[in-house]
Amino acid sequence: MSNPLSDNDPNQEECQEDDMTPADLIAKLEEAWLNEKFSPELLANQAEVVECVMEQLTHMEANLQRVKKGDPKASIHRMEIDRIRFVLCSYLRSRLQKIEKFYPHVLEKEKSRSKGEPALLSPEEFAFAKEYAANTESHLKSVALSHMPPILQTLDMLKAVPAPCLDSFVFLRVKESQENILVEPETDDQREYVVDLEEGSQHLMRYRTIAPLISSGAAQLI
Amino acid sequence: MESQSYLPVQPGVCMEENFFSLDDILLSHQRLPIRTEVSFPRLGFLEKSSDSPDIPMGTKMELPLWLSKGLYEQNKRMLSVELPKVYREGWRTVFNADPNVVDLHKLGPYYYGLGSQMLRFDSPENPEIAQTLLQTFIGRFRRTMDSSQNAYNEDTSALVERLDCLEKTLFVSGQCGLNSFQGWEKGQACQLSASSLVLNYRKRKITDVQS
Amino acid sequence: MFCEKAVELIRELQRISDGQLPAFNEDGVRQVLQEMEALYEHNQADVNETKSEQRADLLPSIRLRHCCLLRNQRCVGAYLYDRLLRIRALRWEYGSVLPANVRFHMSAEELQWFTCYKKSLASFMRSLGGGGGLDVTQDMRPPKSLYIQVRCVKDHGELEIDDGTLVLLKKNSQHFLPRWKCEHLIRQGILEHVVH
Repeated sequence: MSNPLSDNDPNQEECQEDDMTPADLIAKLEEAWLNEKFSPELLANQAEVVECVMEQLTHMEANLQRVKKGDPKASIHRMEIDRIRFVLCSYLRSRLQKIEKFYPHVLEKEKSRSKGEPALLSPEEFAFAKEYAANTESHLKSVALSHMPPILQTLDMLKAVPAPCLDSFVFLRVKESQENILVEPETDDQREYVVDLEEGSQHLMRYRTIAPLISSGAAQLI
Repeated sequence: MESQSYLPVQPGVCMEENFFSLDDILLSHQRLPIRTEVSFPRLGFLEKSSDSPDIPMGTKMELPLWLSKGLYEQNKRMLSVELPKVYREGWRTVFNADPNVVDLHKLGPYYYGLGSQMLRFDSPENPEIAQTLLQTFIGRFRRTMDSSQNAYNEDTSALVERLDCLEKTLFVSGQCGLNSFQGWEKGQACQLSASSLVLNYRKRKITDVQS
Repeated sequence: MFCEKAVELIRELQRISDGQLPAFNEDGVRQVLQEMEALYEHNQADVNETKSEQRADLLPSIRLRHCCLLRNQRCVGAYLYDRLLRIRALRWEYGSVLPANVRFHMSAEELQWFTCYKKSLASFMRSLGGGGGLDVTQDMRPPKSLYIQVRCVKDHGELEIDDGTLVLLKKNSQHFLPRWKCEHLIRQGILEHVVH
């Protein structure tokens, strides 16, 4: 997807410092979107991509205001804006859904993260997750737990709310060739083995095995 | 699926139970034949057939899976759990001969779920039970998948009536996929539709008024 | 057997598997809590006797009651938690204002949870894009066209569209409207998307 409107845009965004064209940006968003949609666990946040796409949308909206009414080009641009916004919303929705579904694990992972590691949650998502946790836990407490015998007044939410199932199988496309990926056995009578993944090839594999390739960008979920 | 906003807690995989899963709670409500190996004083009222104040040692009775499992995990010597008939050798032979002829709804409906949970109790037969569970599933899977992919716009009650709960879930998700694919082919994928939850509420409101 | 009331709560939800919210069973929850209190008191008494009169033979019964306490805790917890998941779905299907017949099925505490959830979601959406805001409950399906043909299923008053024009949404009337203006109304079953 390219955006012809931004060609005559005088104030190019700050996001494009590192030579990212609008087309690159949208491609990045789409990649993040598909990965998030198909991965069983929450992936590291892409707050900069989200922010840049939002800015891009604002610019496109503003430019559209300047186009004369009834210009056929306008509706094409309008459609383009709608499509980008759909992908962006769908991406953020998938993340919210997983944040809610796995909230104790998500918060735990964020808490135990070492300084250098990229944040799992954006600041906005972190605020949302914390509120969701507090709201839910205080509900359980006030309606039921606080009326139970003393030894039963707490619930370990990390145990009660299931963690993402990393053993689920996912489809992926390889972007950078990989050698010697260790595949764990699926049943007791199988042995572990190694595979090479060629660039451009597609596979159906256990998520746990290839999770590092997704976070490094060497492979893409499809 | 983004069109469904209610995402219930999924049941656990294999031998795991998910604490908040409604399915797992109902599964663990299944009753198992047990024999008490100690006496349970002052709980005689739980065993209706006698009027002793205690449940004496050596009583044969049925307890729900959650209770048998809970007691067993605290102390293995409080009760011995008998294997339900469908997991015993006689039935295992039947399953191994042709898994497609058995009615898993009647024999289950939690055949796989309960079977996996039985592995929690140490029994010398566990490897055979596990093997039969797996082979039965594999043996029936093709038929379950085929029928879910080929029944379009028809009454599927005859197809699912002999399926176990787990198989039924698979059948339904296969149907879901088939229906969305057909909808996409007909160009309905872009049609915006009312939330099914909203429509069901409306239906209920009407029946509420009528009854 | 103990814990029958608790599992009845679970069955109540399981019977309505499409995500609708049945009325909050306050009485059922209270009965489970009462059973727990009784179990706990019996156990306290037996524990004291075990200590004071060396009655180790009471231990199996104490353990059995303890299992029942845990089971009741799990069932009530799961009942409340599953209801929250259903209430969460309502925010996404209906929007932030719920019809009275739906609200009617919620307890006071659940209404409060809903209000908090709705607020958290709103402040999340407002904070996106450096405070510019983005409604992520819109655009649930990939867009195919800017304008769509819709039919009114029921009267809904006036709707203002982009350029300030007002459209009267009268039952059975048909309109050609911007898709993003209609999306929520279609989800709520007020408008119907007409596809030829």
